[in-house]
Amino acid sequence: MLDTLKATTLPSTEVTGLPTPMLSAHDVCVSYSGKQALFDVSLDIPQNEVTALIGPSGCGKSTFLRCINRMNDVIDGCVTSGTILMDGRNILEPSEDVVQLRQKVGMVFQKPNPFPKSIFENIAYGPRIHGLANDKTELDGIVEVSLERAGLWKEVKDRLNQPGTGLSGGQQQRLCIARAIAVSPDVVLMDEPCSALDPIATARIEELIDELREKFTIVIVTHSMQQAARVSTQTAFFHMGYVVEVGATEKIFTNPEDPRTNGYITGRFG
Amino acid sequence: MAADSHIVKSYTAELDQLTTMIAEMGGLAEAAVADATLALRRRDSDLAQRVIEGDRKIDALEAQVASNVVRMLALRQPMATDLRTIVAALKIAGDLERAGDYAKNIAKRSLILNQSPVTGPISAIANLSQMVAAMLHEVLDAYVAGDADVAERVRDRDEDIDAAHTSLFRELLTYMMEDPRTITACTHMVFIAKNLERVGDHATNIAENLVYQVRGEHLIDRHVVPGERNEL
Ligand SMILES: Nc1ncnc2c1ncn2[C@@H]1O[C@H](COP(=O)(O)OP(=O)(O)OP(=O)(O)O)[C@@H](O)[C@H]1O
Ligand SMILES: [Mg+2]
Repeated sequence: MLDTLKATTLPSTEVTGLPTPMLSAHDVCVSYSGKQALFDVSLDIPQNEVTALIGPSGCGKSTFLRCINRMNDVIDGCVTSGTILMDGRNILEPSEDVVQLRQKVGMVFQKPNPFPKSIFENIAYGPRIHGLANDKTELDGIVEVSLERAGLWKEVKDRLNQPGTGLSGGQQQRLCIARAIAVSPDVVLMDEPCSALDPIATARIEELIDELREKFTIVIVTHSMQQAARVSTQTAFFHMGYVVEVGATEKIFTNPEDPRTNGYITGRFG
Repeated sequence: MAADSHIVKSYTAELDQLTTMIAEMGGLAEAAVADATLALRRRDSDLAQRVIEGDRKIDALEAQVASNVVRMLALRQPMATDLRTIVAALKIAGDLERAGDYAKNIAKRSLILNQSPVTGPISAIANLSQMVAAMLHEVLDAYVAGDADVAERVRDRDEDIDAAHTSLFRELLTYMMEDPRTITACTHMVFIAKNLERVGDHATNIAENLVYQVRGEHLIDRHVVPGERNEL
């Protein structure tokens, strides 16, 4: 099997003494129609922590995020190499079951994108196609728990049959988070989840992220340095397709090693 | 500042202004220490009076630094080197303000001493004062140049100042034991010496803050806990 093969290439956590990374990227390269967008990205994503990806526009943050749930597969001319290990398996392997992977790795996008269906159906859809509920009662339970965890249950419990698109932007984003966690993923990817939200809705999402990390491993792309500083424990700075620096968030924002990191986060030219 | 410019130019201008204000405060504090001692040595009460009045300018500058820092923290949300520069500026302004207060206290005591005949180790006090003013001067040069290596060397000189202070204190004790009529004057001088030694401590703090600003590392502070070492 693949996992026994890959297990030997894994840096043993017993040797390093570090907590087991949920995801471990090694030398990930991505190019779009021959134009390289990511260069040898190696990055560990620690379990039950929030990792923030920061960097200037076009540096490859979304590209890296899309590697983790293989969303790049659907882009014509996109070629990926390297490994991303999860549970000892290389999820970039073409033979990996992408549907199964996407159950384990959920994603929340910049613009809230509820399906044009009821609030209930938005959440129930994933568990249903992945066969996570045996009957209607179980499905109802999953919907309630997911909305509860996303901090939306109280606001929508009396109108589950109304369209998800009728909610406010902040509520829609929490609906999308509820949808992402409804299939019990291990990892939740968020690509600028608050950029369309006001400060109050943003604060609620940030509070939610803080609660969700108990159950999930979170990777968030954000253009707000303050947001990265507030929500994450680890921060990776991407620049022109490279990971320039990765470290404890506190260190990155008070005393980064690389002048390019300092230049970027202080608002100077990198 | 050594670092290159922000995309938002007014931000760089605000940081530069902070440095300028600190440099100005430093110049005033250093002059106040030197003048207060000179007023004592020359028995020049006018000069002492000017030092006392001049302290207001230092206080006003500190208040201005503090309000600029608060504004920058709120509006700029500084990060990394900028954050350290701004935090260090606030602390350094505080140290300079205290140094100014000590100079003012020396000036007040010299006004009193000028009313009685000359006694005591005035030249040893002048010597200590010179050491302290020089330390202040050099640490401020290092601040303007953003040079942590110089700051670290200046910081080490604090030991010399402590030693000079201790020996001055002993000398004052012998004066007092020999002639109890000098006790009042010598007690003022004990405080003057202590004030100078404290200014040296603040210069040390400034050096430590500068090292933090530049390198992001805290040097082990030798002076924060009062009573930890032999306080004279
Ligand atoms: N679908 C695509 N087809 C071709 N090139 C792409 C595609 N997606 C991204 N790229 C290119 O790959 C590079 C990295 O883009 P990516 O979207 O990952 O950047 P990003 O860091 O997420 O930027 P932003 O902060 O603007 O979202 C860019 O040069 C971009 O033009
Ligand atoms: Mg992006």
